[in-house]
Amino acid sequence: MRDLLTRINNAATAQGAQYVEARAQRLTKTSLTLKEERVEAAKQGIESGVAIRALVNGAWGFASVGSTDPAILENAAVDACRMAKLASASLKTPIKLAPAKTVEDHVVSKPKKNPSDITVEDKIKTALAINKTSLAYDARIKSCGVDYMDLMGSSFFVNSEGTSIEQDKLYVWSRITASAQADGVFTFSREEIGSTAGYELFDQQPPEELGRKVAERAVMQLSAKSPKGGKSPVVLGPNVVGVFVHEAFGHLAEADLALSGGLLASNMGKKIGSDLVTFYDDGTLPSAFGAFKYDDEGVPTQKTLLIKDGVVSGLMHNRDTAQKFNTQPTGNARAEDFRVEPIIRMRCTYMAPRDQTVEELLEGVKSGYYFKSFRGGQASLDGTFQVGIQEGYEIINGEIGSPVRNASISGNTLETLHKVDGVGKDFSIDPGRCGKGQTAFICDGGPHIRLSEVVVGGSA
Amino acid sequence: MAVLEKNQLISAAEDAVKAALKLGAEEAEAYTYEGQATNIGIELGQISKTNRIIDRGLGIRIIVNKATGFAYTNIIGDKAAIEATVARALSAAKASKPDPDWHKLPEKKPYTATQGTFDQKIVDLSPEDLVKITQTMLDAAVEIDKNVFPVEGGVGSGYVANAVANSNGVNGYDHGTIVECSLAALAKSAGATTPICFEFNAARDYTLDPIWVGREAAKLAATAQKPKPFENKTAKVILTQFALQDLFAYTLMGAVKADSVQRNQSPFKGKIGEQVASEELTIYDDGLYPAGLRTSIFDGEGVPRQKTPIIENGILKSFLYDNYSARKDSVESTGNASRAGYLSTPGVDTSNFRVVPQNMTTEQMLKEVGDGLIVYYLQGAHSSNPVSGEFSVVATPCWRIKNGEVAHSCQGVMLAGNIFELLKNITAIGGNERQMGTLIAPWVIAENVRVIGK
Repeated sequence: MRDLLTRINNAATAQGAQYVEARAQRLTKTSLTLKEERVEAAKQGIESGVAIRALVNGAWGFASVGSTDPAILENAAVDACRMAKLASASLKTPIKLAPAKTVEDHVVSKPKKNPSDITVEDKIKTALAINKTSLAYDARIKSCGVDYMDLMGSSFFVNSEGTSIEQDKLYVWSRITASAQADGVFTFSREEIGSTAGYELFDQQPPEELGRKVAERAVMQLSAKSPKGGKSPVVLGPNVVGVFVHEAFGHLAEADLALSGGLLASNMGKKIGSDLVTFYDDGTLPSAFGAFKYDDEGVPTQKTLLIKDGVVSGLMHNRDTAQKFNTQPTGNARAEDFRVEPIIRMRCTYMAPRDQTVEELLEGVKSGYYFKSFRGGQASLDGTFQVGIQEGYEIINGEIGSPVRNASISGNTLETLHKVDGVGKDFSIDPGRCGKGQTAFICDGGPHIRLSEVVVGGSA
Repeated sequence: MAVLEKNQLISAAEDAVKAALKLGAEEAEAYTYEGQATNIGIELGQISKTNRIIDRGLGIRIIVNKATGFAYTNIIGDKAAIEATVARALSAAKASKPDPDWHKLPEKKPYTATQGTFDQKIVDLSPEDLVKITQTMLDAAVEIDKNVFPVEGGVGSGYVANAVANSNGVNGYDHGTIVECSLAALAKSAGATTPICFEFNAARDYTLDPIWVGREAAKLAATAQKPKPFENKTAKVILTQFALQDLFAYTLMGAVKADSVQRNQSPFKGKIGEQVASEELTIYDDGLYPAGLRTSIFDGEGVPRQKTPIIENGILKSFLYDNYSARKDSVESTGNASRAGYLSTPGVDTSNFRVVPQNMTTEQMLKEVGDGLIVYYLQGAHSSNPVSGEFSVVATPCWRIKNGEVAHSCQGVMLAGNIFELLKNITAIGGNERQMGTLIAPWVIAENVRVIGK
C-alpha cells in the first residue's frame, strides 16, 4: 500500500504540486439496528479507497476514489492538480503549510476483546439485552431502539515530505433511545457509549445498566413539568458541561472557524471567562472515543490547552491555520473517511476540575435548575449557543427537586464563561459524534459547574 | 473516470441477487449506486480548494427464515468482491433473529417517468465553468456591503445513478443530476460579528443564479448587524423555509412516518381523519414532483414513487410507508423507502415534502404580522423532543417586524413551544415556494409563538 501511495505522490509532484498527501483505508464495519426486540438487520460492510490531496500554486485539489487501481489513482492525482491550478487563478492569499516533523510509524491497537473475535450472534445478544431491560423497566416504555457499530481496519498515510504512517483503527459504539408515553405525554431519552479500546466497553457499561438508565430517564420525564423561561442560576452536570464546552467554546477554538470571523481570533491572550475556566482539547486520553495517535495530515496528536484560568491560550490547528497563526499544528486535522478531506475537528474537549463538591455547588442556588444530561447542542460563530436538556431538575434552597422536561439553555459564550462561579472536583467524559459536514467521533466532559445565570428556555 | 453504463449497474445488481439465491438466500435485493461530484470551494473569502469525489458501491439485503442480513462493498467491478459481499450478507442473515412481521420484498409495479431530473448540461460542466460561477457569486456578495465577509461556500455539480433488483422481479434504473451554489457570509463591524447568514440555489437542471445567491447572503448578513433585544411575549412569527425545514425535520416529518407510528413514537397515531393542523395547511409528499430535489422513478426498494396526501386542509390523511411498515399494516408502500446510497438498509423517509402554497405575497405577510418576528435560521432544532414535538430553540439571527416592515435584527431570541400546537396556529401561507432539501414550502405565519427575548 505504501508503494501505491508513493506512486500517487510522484504523479502529483510531477504536475508541479508543492505538497502531496495520499491516504488509503481498508475498513470493515459491523452494525446492528434493533427496534424493540426486533433485529431490523445485521449489517457488514467493507470500505476501501484512496484520498489524494495536492497543494498547487497555493490552492488545494482533492480527489477521492473507491479504488486501488494504480492507473486510475494516478489519473485522479493529475486531475486534482489541474483543478487546483484552475482554482488558484484568483488567489490573494496562497495557502502555505506550517512545518511538521517527518514521521515513520506503525500504530497497532491492542484490544482486550477484539470486536472481530466476537460473533455477530453475541453482538445481537448484547444489543437485545439492552432492549429487553429497557422495555421491561416500565409498562409506559413504548419503544426502545439500539444501534450498534464497530469499525476496524487500517489507514495509511504517505506525504511528499517523507512521512509514512500505518495506523490501526478500532471503534466500538452504541446508541440507545427509548420513548415513554402516559396520559398524552410523550417523552424521549437517549444514551451513547463508545470507545477505541475494544469490546470490553460492554464490561465497563453492562447492557442491562444501559437499558435501565435510558428507560428510567424517559419514565421520569413523564411526570416532569416545563421550566419557567428566563434567566436563572443553574448547576450543570459533566454531560452538559461537556456539550457546552464543545459547542459553545470548542467550535470557536477551531482555528478555521476562528479565521472565518469567529470571536476568538481577536481574543487571543485575553481574559474571556472567570478564573475558574480552564479547557483542553486532548487527543491522548487512552481508549477515549476521540483519541488517536496521528491526525490525517500525519501530525501527532497532543493535549492542547485552549483556555487557562479564563485566558484564551490556544486554538486547534491544522498545518494551514497553524501557518496563518504563526504557530505549531496541534494534530486536529481529521477526515471521516477516504471520501472527504481532513478539516479541523475536536478530539476530547473538556473543562478541568477544581475543588468544590456537588453539594457545595447546589448550596449556592436558592431557586434554579440542575441540568444533568443533554439532548443536543449547537452554536454560531458570534458565540450564540443553545443546549437542549433531556434530564433536568429544579433546585430549591440548594436541594434537588422535581424533574423538568424539554428545557434548554442559551446565551452568548463569552458572557456565559464569566458566569461560571463554581467548579466541582469530580470529572467524567462521554463519547459523542460531531457533525461539521463530516462526522467525527469525539468526547467531551468535565466536572459539575455552576453558572450564576443563563437563559433557560421552556414553554411555561 | 467515466460514468458506469446503465447495463453495468443493472447487471451488477441482478448478478448479486442471482448469486444470493444460489447460495441459499430465500429472498434477495441488491442496490447499486454511483455518485460523482465536483466542487469548487470558497474559504475565507477566496476560492482556494476543489474536490472531485467518485463513490460507487453495492448493498445487498438477504432474507433467510424471516431474518435480514445486509452487506455492502465499494468494489463493484469485480465478481469475486460481489460474491464475497453476498456471502457476508448471508452469514449476517443467519446470525440474525427471525422477525415474525417480515412478509416479503416488494413486487414489481409499473414505473412513471420523472420530469426535470436529469440535465446533460450539468454533466458537461467543466471545472473551468464551475470556477467562473463561484467567482461570479463571490463578486456579487462583496459588492453589497463593505462589512460583509464571505466565510465559506462554493459551487458543485453532481451526477447520481442507481439500480435496484430483487428476487420478486423488481428491477429498475434511474439517474439524475444536481447543481448547487451556496454562500455563507457574516458582517463584522466595531468588534461585533453577526451570525452566519446563508443562501443557496440547488436544482436538478442548470438554472443557477449565483448573483442572486451572493447578493442575498450578503444582504442578510448586512441587515443582521446592530441587533436589538426582543421582549418576552407570545408573538406572530413568519417562519421562512430555513426555519420550517429545521423544525419539521426533527418533529413533523418523523411523526408521519409509519415506522414511528407503529413504534408508538408519533403523536399522530390513531388520528387519521382528525384535524391536526390549521385549515390553511395542506401537505403532500410527492416523490414525482417535477424537478424536485428528491424526485426519482422509484424508492430505495424499487417501489414506484408517488404523490401521497399527508395533511389536507388541516386533516391528517395518511402516513408514509416503506415495504416493511406497509405490509405490517396491510397497506401498499407509498414509495418512501430511503437509503444512504449503498451503505444502508432502506428506512422510511420523506421525499419531497410539499407545503402547498397560497397567494399571499411577502409584503402582505409582513403587513399581516404587523408587529412580530421573521425567523430564518434556528439553532438547536435537533434537540427538539422528536416524540412530543416540544422545541426550545434559538433564532439566530431573526428580524423584528414593526408596522408591517422588517425593522432590525434581534439576537439571542429563543422560541419555545410544541410543533404540533404550532401547526394549529398557522394563520397564513405564502406564495413564495422554494425547495430546501426534502422540504418544498413558502413562508408561513404562526401566531401565539412563545418568544423569550430577555
